[in-house]
Amino acid sequence: MRVAERTKNDGGKLAPDVAGLYVPTTTGSRGRKRRGVNREGLEAGRRSTRTLLWILLAAAMVLYGFPFLYLLFTSFKTPIDAIAVPPTILPKEWTLENYTNGLGRNGVLASFINSIQTAVISTVLSLLLAVPAAYGITRYKTLSGRIFIMAALVTRMVPPVAIGIPLASMMASVGLSDTPIALSVAHTTISLPLSIWLMSSFFEAVPKDLEEAATVDGCSRLGALWRVVIPVVSGGVAVTAIFAFLASWNEFLFALLMTAIRSQTTPVVIANFQTQFGLDWGSMTALATVYSIPVILLTLLLQRKIVAGMTLGAVKG
Amino acid sequence: MRISDRRFALFLMTPAALFLAVFVAFPLFRLVADSFFKISPIAGGPRDFVGLDNYFRAFASDAFIGAGWRTLAYTLIVVTLEFALGLGMALLFTTLGRSSQIWRTVFMYPLMIAPIVAGLLWKFLMIDNFGLIGTLLHQAGILSNPNQIGWLSDPNIVLYSVAIPDIWLTTSFMCLVLFAGLQNIPGDLIEAARLDGARAPAMLFRIILPLLRPVIAVALVVRGIDAARAFDTILIQTNGGPQSASETMSLLIYRTMIRFGDPGLASAMGTLYLLAMLAVAFVAVSTIWRPGKDN
Repeated sequence: MRVAERTKNDGGKLAPDVAGLYVPTTTGSRGRKRRGVNREGLEAGRRSTRTLLWILLAAAMVLYGFPFLYLLFTSFKTPIDAIAVPPTILPKEWTLENYTNGLGRNGVLASFINSIQTAVISTVLSLLLAVPAAYGITRYKTLSGRIFIMAALVTRMVPPVAIGIPLASMMASVGLSDTPIALSVAHTTISLPLSIWLMSSFFEAVPKDLEEAATVDGCSRLGALWRVVIPVVSGGVAVTAIFAFLASWNEFLFALLMTAIRSQTTPVVIANFQTQFGLDWGSMTALATVYSIPVILLTLLLQRKIVAGMTLGAVKG
Repeated sequence: MRISDRRFALFLMTPAALFLAVFVAFPLFRLVADSFFKISPIAGGPRDFVGLDNYFRAFASDAFIGAGWRTLAYTLIVVTLEFALGLGMALLFTTLGRSSQIWRTVFMYPLMIAPIVAGLLWKFLMIDNFGLIGTLLHQAGILSNPNQIGWLSDPNIVLYSVAIPDIWLTTSFMCLVLFAGLQNIPGDLIEAARLDGARAPAMLFRIILPLLRPVIAVALVVRGIDAARAFDTILIQTNGGPQSASETMSLLIYRTMIRFGDPGLASAMGTLYLLAMLAVAFVAVSTIWRPGKDN
């Protein structure tokens, strides 16, 4: 597959910035001559065409960005304004009332702590299991490795609703029901296959000579992995960590099935607002905003790495 | 003593394999086992072996058959629209080239939003009375009254409405993947086609899409599987209603298990659902993905 081929070529030289591999550089646009002459690839050349395309992009961006802006604006309305008929886009009066109401509610702050705890434990667990497994699969190319990666992929198809209940009763039987540990294990069933998949792609890009040289120098295979290979793919490990974290942070179904009061994560609390407190839309929008902002900022900060993971996850051969 | 490479590889894979065996394979085994029993929802209640009875009940129930069709329809709606929009955006970003890079980043933001938040947000936009979409369409003169379209309350259209957050969340993913694919189309190929006088539609259908085929196939399969499992967005928007018109398979299984307290029947439904997904997975893996082999 094309993109995969690209990794191999680009990654042939031990690129430590593995994430950079996938950030698509528009071929030839750097040295592109001005409009009309020597347009390369698919890039549009004529000024009128480009203007039209920019207008189209602007329209798409407004439509696409608007829903979240509306959520943001609503969270600053007064609780009554939030459900006024007819609704207005901007608040008539800017206030933090929804934030103090929403965050002050019993159990809300605790749910944020639970969300962070669960996501961190799940990320660490995913990496601890996925990094050696992916290395074993890609470096030694054994039959068992091939079977294993297939099996890991098949687990991706398993609907969480099918294993949620048995998993919950298993956890209960070992006394772990309603704990962040139990939930993070459940979340790891989602992120582990993805992590193995991503890490395998990153390990593929590391030349074999690297750890062969290390073992000749007297390093054990485990030592070579730890001291030589992992530092080279540290960018890939970071990408994998982000995805594992996000998978847990945003997960809802397992959280709904496996937590009661002590370990409830924020998505469950947000969903509960609907029934528990009638229709408190104002507080819900405030809570949803607070929960989303950190991960949106994370995207903007780490966008190169995230693009790398996204494309790698799907476009690998 | 040095163990063989094969043993060493196995040693590296064992922890992850054990984890998946205990926390995925074993619960699945329990699910399949439960599907042959009539189980009382009360913990420690009676458990009677009933053979294939739960399966017969599943196939005899309109709810199950209906949910099956709705899941299929929902998946097709989501994946088709997402693909069309994602391809459009990817082409737009490609034709604008490097200068649009910052907007490509901004376009990615919904990917990070929790599905539950997205569902809530769109419910808020489409809800009767104080939903913004109806109001804006009314003010623009398209609707005679803001509640003319019951986005989430009209059983005939609700399946489309509940799909919107899902489409909004993951069109970015399609766009990203297709964009990466587009960057790998050699420029001279496009140039040659252009010199031959190929117009935009011919360029798209004869050159770009065929070249993107492998990327498109993987993206569609990945998203199709996710869409077929959709739960969060639908639960928070409609809880499957009105009149079960948006009840997809995940929701039906969840409700059968939790609300109607029939774990045996729910397990049978879950097993059938899983088999359907595995059939798709098998076809997909064997035709498109060939993990572990060189390309």
